[in-house]
Amino acid sequence: MITRLLAVSRASIVPMILAVTAPTAGQQPPAPVTAPATASPQRALLNQYCVGCHSQRAKAAGQEAARKITLDDLDLSRVGDHAEAWERVVRRLRAGMMPPSGSRRPDKATYESLTAWLEHEVDRNAPAYTPPPGLHRLNRTEYANAIRDLLDVAIDASQYLPSDDSTHGFDNMAGTLGVSSTLVEAYVSAAAKISRLAIGEAAPPALIVYRTPEDTSQDYHIEGLPFGTRGGLLVNHVFPSDGEYTLTVTPIFGDNMSPTGFGSVPCEKLEVLLDRERLQLLDWQGSRRLGQSDSNCGGASAEPGQRGRGAGPGAAPAGAAGAPRGGGRAGGGGFREPPPMRVRFKTTAGSHAVGVTFLATNFAPLLDLDQHFTRDTIQTGPTPGFTFFPHVGTVRIEGPFNATPARESPSRRKIFTCRPTGPDDEAACARALITTLARRAFRRPPAAADVDLLMGFYQAGRQEGDFDRGIGMVLARILASPKFIYRIEAEPAAVTAGVPYRIHDLDLASRLSFFLWSSIPDDQLIALASQGRLRDPATLERQVRRMLKDPRAEALAVNFAGQWLNLRGLQAAGPLPMIYPDFDDPLRQAMRREVELLFDSIVREDRSVVELLTADYTFVNERLAKHYGIPNIYGSQFRRVTLGPDMDLRRGLLGKGAILTTSSKPERTSPVTRGKWVMTNILGMSPPPPPPDVPPLPPRAADSTGNAKEPTLRQKMLDHRVRADCIQCHSLMDPIGFSLENFDGIGVWRTHDEGTPVDASAQLFDGTKIDGPAALRTWLLGYSNQFVEVVAEKLLTYALGRGVEYRDMPLVRSLARDAARDQNRFAALVLGIVASQPFQMNTKSPETAVPTPPTWSSGVRERKGSR
Amino acid sequence: MFVSKKHIPRRRFLKGAGVTLALPLLEAMVPAATALAQSAAAPSRNRFVGMFFPHGMAPGYWVPDLAGPLPVKLPYILESLAKVKDQTVVISGLWSRSAEPPEGTTGSDHWVAAAYLTAIKPRKTAGSDATVGSPTIDQIIAQQIGRSSLLPSLQLSVEDPNSSSSNCGEGYSCSYTNSISWVGLPTPAGEAEPRTSPLPMELNPQVVFERLFGSGATPEVRAARMKQNQSILDSLRHELAGLRNTLGPGDRQTVNQYTEEIREIERRIQLAAKASASVPEIDLPPGVPEQFDQHIKLHCDLTALAFQADITRVVTLLGARDLTSRSYTFPKSELFPGGGQSVGFHGGSHHQEDPVQVQRYAELNRYHVSTLAYFAEKLKSIPEGDGTLLDHSLIMYGSNMGNSNQHQHFDVPHILVGGSNGQLAGGRHLAYERKSVTTGNLLLNVLDMYGVHQENQGDSTGRLNDL
Repeated sequence: MITRLLAVSRASIVPMILAVTAPTAGQQPPAPVTAPATASPQRALLNQYCVGCHSQRAKAAGQEAARKITLDDLDLSRVGDHAEAWERVVRRLRAGMMPPSGSRRPDKATYESLTAWLEHEVDRNAPAYTPPPGLHRLNRTEYANAIRDLLDVAIDASQYLPSDDSTHGFDNMAGTLGVSSTLVEAYVSAAAKISRLAIGEAAPPALIVYRTPEDTSQDYHIEGLPFGTRGGLLVNHVFPSDGEYTLTVTPIFGDNMSPTGFGSVPCEKLEVLLDRERLQLLDWQGSRRLGQSDSNCGGASAEPGQRGRGAGPGAAPAGAAGAPRGGGRAGGGGFREPPPMRVRFKTTAGSHAVGVTFLATNFAPLLDLDQHFTRDTIQTGPTPGFTFFPHVGTVRIEGPFNATPARESPSRRKIFTCRPTGPDDEAACARALITTLARRAFRRPPAAADVDLLMGFYQAGRQEGDFDRGIGMVLARILASPKFIYRIEAEPAAVTAGVPYRIHDLDLASRLSFFLWSSIPDDQLIALASQGRLRDPATLERQVRRMLKDPRAEALAVNFAGQWLNLRGLQAAGPLPMIYPDFDDPLRQAMRREVELLFDSIVREDRSVVELLTADYTFVNERLAKHYGIPNIYGSQFRRVTLGPDMDLRRGLLGKGAILTTSSKPERTSPVTRGKWVMTNILGMSPPPPPPDVPPLPPRAADSTGNAKEPTLRQKMLDHRVRADCIQCHSLMDPIGFSLENFDGIGVWRTHDEGTPVDASAQLFDGTKIDGPAALRTWLLGYSNQFVEVVAEKLLTYALGRGVEYRDMPLVRSLARDAARDQNRFAALVLGIVASQPFQMNTKSPETAVPTPPTWSSGVRERKGSR
Repeated sequence: MFVSKKHIPRRRFLKGAGVTLALPLLEAMVPAATALAQSAAAPSRNRFVGMFFPHGMAPGYWVPDLAGPLPVKLPYILESLAKVKDQTVVISGLWSRSAEPPEGTTGSDHWVAAAYLTAIKPRKTAGSDATVGSPTIDQIIAQQIGRSSLLPSLQLSVEDPNSSSSNCGEGYSCSYTNSISWVGLPTPAGEAEPRTSPLPMELNPQVVFERLFGSGATPEVRAARMKQNQSILDSLRHELAGLRNTLGPGDRQTVNQYTEEIREIERRIQLAAKASASVPEIDLPPGVPEQFDQHIKLHCDLTALAFQADITRVVTLLGARDLTSRSYTFPKSELFPGGGQSVGFHGGSHHQEDPVQVQRYAELNRYHVSTLAYFAEKLKSIPEGDGTLLDHSLIMYGSNMGNSNQHQHFDVPHILVGGSNGQLAGGRHLAYERKSVTTGNLLLNVLDMYGVHQENQGDSTGRLNDL
């Protein structure tokens, strides 16, 4: 099989190991111009339109354009010899960037045919490119997902592992996932902690704090909490053992000097819930000064100790700490600390939903004379004329007290697939458990030696404690193993350096699952791979389609799209509250979720990826709908809405708050950044960085009347473009950004900018004149093939976990071409990648590349030789 | 804020925000901690701290008018350093040549924070061959003085790189932006340029605390966990040795390095086992504080603790990532009586030379420098031997741009605070002529103070003779 494949690969431009998506026939791209004669028409075109700037002579004269590339010295009859240079040419041609704006261009058909001819020439000469991808370490996301799928426990990996570097736009690149002693130590430490958590050992008390974001607003219902409640916090908390826990709520405090919590509405009631059942109803204690008590709150206010309505189902006796103890406690506590709002309850090990929320009342701060902004916490001190609802600041869960080992939990059900009935069958049961755990964790049937080694750890633990302790030791060892932490692909013994070989089916299963799920393969994939059946094209396609429908495929929206479209950047986006007082964390989260859901719908419904630019639907909740001005959307849950003609401007990525916010500055929009975003992520061409010595803008002309307006942003930027070396790139980016100026720095539609009407007209670099976002979208659709290639390129980068370079571009183009025959459907792109050579193959690197074994250890260099 | 006690308190900060799942307390694998420092500072106990903030400083707001003694009233940005003025040296006019884009290219200068402590332009690559051309000087110093402490060095950061993974580029690996500490690796035969590898910079003070002091409720629990970890580490080494044979050459290198790291941890566990069991008390919020001010001050507190207990002697702190749009809340204080909010860091650094915007940017720099002042005062408050911790430390605070509005890499600010074991006379302003002295020269001087005498470092042309 392999030999045949390799033979094919040399002769074809298309990776077609398995040709899952389409038959091999008809894969030739359109090649309107035939092979070159001596003075080919292509050479004539280049000479006429390009060589004027890109020539050796111009280079000798030091001209910028020629320093970047020269075209008069490249042999058009041997395009493949200079594939790297031609790829750069093709990329700019495809993005419509060359010849530059203002220069003469051939007509569209000629332009197209030259581009297609160049691509064809490069592709037809391109050898398959399958460099060794490198040893992948699981990144934090993959680690957490693997733990979830292996042990059914949700962890926040950032609490265990240092952050990962990223490159090429993604954090799953093998080359960047390095090793350090900090990291190794963290893995070993995490293995021990997670194994205790999963087994549910009787843990010592610990405190875990959940905090609401600094710019939260809690005026509205939060999804997942009961109707009729307002704000608060809902978390899925992993309780380590069976036992008693306390939950303490503190408010968001006012500013540094304030002894009381934020909010000024009296007599609020706070409901505490465990798995959606009320544990207790507390009086909110956060807003008042020490020693004071709210009066006139109605019936039960007289006896503070009795204010809670008693314990709900599952609650332990309310206990001494169950309700505020009034002034006595306050006197002894810190000067800032109001009496605690605390509940003590009993629960079982494992994940439980813990909710803390206010009962909604008919109190309406909206009656304030001043206009209320959406974000509450701009100024957490008292603000005259404003009334604010109190907010939950932290939820602290402490425990367990009187802990006992867990008897039952989701993790335990996942781990203990058998239970010993007596001492005699303990070892047999342990062996069975270990075999299953190791198979899942190592993503392959474990070798007998692996099982024996783990049995050794089991016995060590068993001698110290009980059966569970033994299994705990095993888990700690498994999770620390490089076979878990690394995606190890064993190299077949009989391969020659430099020659590609097909990877094992089990390795293919891992590549698939880390690509589509960011996690380990499931039992079905491992079973098929163990039988050597996964490589069968029909089976493989069925599996890919199954995986894309699986809930775990949400990883594509969260991880892939989250990084490609920089949704993660939203977390760090901090529009200045004084300029954007309506921006708050619920809005930030809603913006992110909207794009994730949009991307997810493309995946699940197997739509065309071009719909990312055009989709006439989106996903909103009340908060986001209000932001967009979409009427009649109530409630915190997301729903799909159709974007009618009046909401046309919100169609596709360019109308999304997430994109518009992350491409703005904290204090204003940035047409440059927006333009660059479109260039990079839609046209696939990142404009070059600015020159090193950008001079400052000339100071504003002295103003005689003293009250002249600030120049608009547009005027300022046009000034900037007066300089010749700035114009070239800014004329690419700025017009695109200008056409989006109707969206302010957080994506709100506006008609005026600081009192001046917004001018969203622009002339784009290919000469097209547009006005506003709809026209921009229409224009971009003219480049939709380019966009599909961009998606293919990004997806391939993410799938392979290495940077895609010019030698991969023939594959990228063939992926896009194949997808085009299937309406650019998402699955078509994925299937093309999965069937490609780099995805299914590896190459042995030459032995000489092995460096001498390390003599340095991290943190410190140490010479070993001198000993 | 802290005193030595035998337990970790449960008192926690009440302020702060951010939905964060914190680590359980008392749950670390690394047992015990070394004894707090009991003796006078030995000569090698000259600690080093490298602090880096990108984006330069507002022109006209930080350079003292005259060279020589620092003026009675410090420039606006540096005002917070008043209390440690006699141990402060302000250096103006340095040229961060290594941060400039390579000849003939542009725009790469936002990706080279890693050059701060090497004075060498990093290799332009987005791949696994990222290297900064030499170990950073903190790692060279750690090699010289860090071997006998529990942690040879410690890397801290205040900004999560994962919040914006796609926000670095121009063909440069994000590693250059994320880490200012790079360790030397074995260089394969035939390669001229030394290989280096970035060390991850830890964001979470809770994790830092556990690395420094370990935890575990009782000595018995610690001992049991230590035993378990030792057996796991031991068995891991065997597993790795077996794996080597099944891997291709490239992957084998990774496994080799992994094995080395395990040895390093085993070394640390042995060191820790000899140390006493006392754990200092510190108010530590679980998880990563959302407020910058609290976050960076906690890192400073932890560093002071680590110095005091001689757990580590070398620390680097990345104050912000290049291009960050972060905006800072000024805590109400003498410096900022009304509190307030800064401009976005990167956006504000492009102040257009507009006097109002420059002033707004200066406020932000003033705030950043106040965290240095906080740290220096903290060290000064801790007696050690014949002086204070600050007498036996050197903090190097700096940036790789001068006027960042124009991405100028000359006239870059550098501030040295600390006595450096009597090797540094403070209260001075050293002013150099523009573009005459590169930052590599300063690095050579700093290395000298730790007994590392090199001919050159990066772009150095000599030493600062008057430092």
